[in-house]
Amino acid sequence: MSTIIHAILGYFALLLTVRVLSRRPGGQLTLYEFVIVFLIGGVAIQATVGRDHSVTNCFTAILAIALMHRLVAWLKDRSPRFGAIVDGTPLVLVKDGNWQLEVMRGMQLDPEDVMAAARSKQIGSVFSIKYAVLERNGTISIIKRNES
Amino acid sequence: MAGPAFKRPVTDSVAKINHELAVGEDLVFQRKWWRFERAIWVLFILIIALDCMGAFGRGPLANARIESTDHAVEADYERIERTGTPSMMTVKVRETAPDPIELFVSDSAVSGLGLRRVIPAPETTTVGSGGFTYRFPRGSLPAVVRFEFEPVGAGVYHITVGRPGEALMHMTVAVVP
Repeated sequence: MSTIIHAILGYFALLLTVRVLSRRPGGQLTLYEFVIVFLIGGVAIQATVGRDHSVTNCFTAILAIALMHRLVAWLKDRSPRFGAIVDGTPLVLVKDGNWQLEVMRGMQLDPEDVMAAARSKQIGSVFSIKYAVLERNGTISIIKRNES
Repeated sequence: MAGPAFKRPVTDSVAKINHELAVGEDLVFQRKWWRFERAIWVLFILIIALDCMGAFGRGPLANARIESTDHAVEADYERIERTGTPSMMTVKVRETAPDPIELFVSDSAVSGLGLRRVIPAPETTTVGSGGFTYRFPRGSLPAVVRFEFEPVGAGVYHITVGRPGEALMHMTVAVVP
């Protein structure tokens, strides 16, 4: 029972912590951000399973986390506001060739981050970017300026 | 071949930028979220600071000392403990009848705080009066007896320690999860 409670509390504590960290998961992770992922995961697992390393205990913890994940996904589907709280909303970083500084500062992003995404689309200059959008999954989408 | 059970016409519901790029940006919400983030970081820093001070155990705020009214016995203990984390209570006996040294510990020390070990091992242990009376052969005073705890669950526990028949010391220990 305590494992299930710890797993549920751990899930929401991790969700909150990761959510308030800057939104740069997946492909945007830098080396120093990997440290966060490994450390948080390692610390959380100890508090969740405690000294009971039995298969039963680990299995119930996994089931509890899976159920929480399913519940959050269901709530996100039902409520766009809840989805925005959990995942955030897309944010425009460059609009009509202008940096959206409020958003850039708020999300702790640098022009270099945007240009890294631009280069992956074979765009070498910031002047060729019409829109850059920070997506909910942390990737940056680039819309090229129409040269004609 | 049967089609899907439910269908809905596609609508252009995602908010657009410059009336051309469907993004769904919500800056009003995002500004509120940034304010919330700042509050959460303040809370995180506060939690870390309180933890360093020992508000959640294992620090200066958690350490406590109590002395019996006759000044014969004194105990150093942690008023805030953590579940599953070992801790030590040190009881110092300064004055006692010639022989032997007897110490009473209430049952809550076992049921609540998870008393694991008494150091040195007592000569005898007597059960009764809502606790245990440990008897130790007397050496030179002050004599120091250590009780090792490992709480099994969160809660607030009241324990009593002292020489049986003399002034007892009453302690309140909070165990955090």
